[in-house]
Amino acid sequence: MARVELIGADQAPLLARPFYAGGDPGVIAAAMAQVPELMEVALPFVGRTLGPTAVDARTKELVILHVSALLGCRYCVAAHTVVAIDTGLDRDEVRALRCEAPLVDVFADERERAVLAWAAAVAATGPVGDDVAAAVRRWCTDAEVVELTLLVTATMLLNRFCTALDLPSAPDTLARLAREGFAAGGSPP
Amino acid sequence: MTAVVDAVAAGAIGDRVWLYSNYHCNLACTYCLTESAPGVARRELGAERLLRAAEQAAGLGFGALGVTGGEPFLLAYLPETLARMADVLPVVALTNATYFSDERLERLSAFAGRPVSLQISLDAAEPDRNDLFRGPESFRRVVEAVPRIVARGIRVRIATTEPAALEPGAMERLCALHRELGVPDEDHVVRPVVRRGRASTNHLGVPVGMAELPPELTITAEGAFWSPFAATVHGRRLDTDLLVTRTTDPLRIPAEAMIRLSEGRPAGDDATLNIR
Repeated sequence: MARVELIGADQAPLLARPFYAGGDPGVIAAAMAQVPELMEVALPFVGRTLGPTAVDARTKELVILHVSALLGCRYCVAAHTVVAIDTGLDRDEVRALRCEAPLVDVFADERERAVLAWAAAVAATGPVGDDVAAAVRRWCTDAEVVELTLLVTATMLLNRFCTALDLPSAPDTLARLAREGFAAGGSPP
Repeated sequence: MTAVVDAVAAGAIGDRVWLYSNYHCNLACTYCLTESAPGVARRELGAERLLRAAEQAAGLGFGALGVTGGEPFLLAYLPETLARMADVLPVVALTNATYFSDERLERLSAFAGRPVSLQISLDAAEPDRNDLFRGPESFRRVVEAVPRIVARGIRVRIATTEPAALEPGAMERLCALHRELGVPDEDHVVRPVVRRGRASTNHLGVPVGMAELPPELTITAEGAFWSPFAATVHGRRLDTDLLVTRTTDPLRIPAEAMIRLSEGRPAGDDATLNIR
């Protein structure tokens, strides 16, 4: 049970209606619809940032799932475990990203290690270390670093939004996780 | 020219900004859009916000203000606030006029020389028919109050909702009454019951949506709406289907959203419903 009313299609505010045009827009949209003037900018922002961009889908799912696990977001970990599997990540990688196994045991690629370290540093409190920055800049262009940073912060926005409002996972997501042998997850490491 | 002036001139949005001063009421009409009644949450905008909205509306290029509720005149500060708002833009205030004691009538003297008019609900020329919808004694109180308000030089409009007026001869009798009370024909408006709020519970009136309602920016304590007929309550829950923005201050934000929405609005038949 979410902590706010999730707005259904029959009560969708005028500015929110386009997001309902294709059917059920999902619980994040249904919650954001409470404030339609913010929804109409926030939802496209997170959609564009988490969706297809210049950074490849695998790299983005590494970041999204790991940051969600670091922040203990039950909803996002569940949703992006499914997305990560569908993107082609193997079970060991998914478990490590969910903080259920050490990353270093699974990810050997130096670029991916640097990206994951950058994501973790951005998602943590306090300054981001020069060594972590230098590592990611060795493998990524400035544009990629900026995009990855936006991706981490957009993921954190969703993590805290979903966690604070206690948004429920979709039944088909939970069923898929069960079939894949993953717990719903979400406890911080 | 501001965007609002252009939009109003093009007929894209109405030139009046409506303000829900409050949601509580001394009556509990069977077709009330907002389920207003004595015990409901007040949800007041407050005098300061009413004045600021008036100033912002004028600054944006709107041409008139409307104040509705609930029963606005349950708010002790309302007469003086309306007078100050009318120094900015002409104001029409909707009231059931059942609450005007001598002392309250005296306070309407603040309207002297200012463009304030009162729109008073009266549904039938017969007390029993009127009070069936609006509650006991409301007819008597209205017919007592209207001539006294008119006598103070305040313009009165009579607003009639249709259920009783649709009966044979009912409209003629009602028009004879409002003329007798001092309200001319041009100040008598008749409109349908809109099936929202308590009217929906009671299966009264005509269903309406964005297409049927003229776009008139409407400000409440809980957000900006497409029309004064949109900021409704059903089952004690605020309807959000015609919510424009939660942001109401500055007024520019919902006004700009209204203009954008009106540009994408399909052609409707709002004028035929006379929902104004």
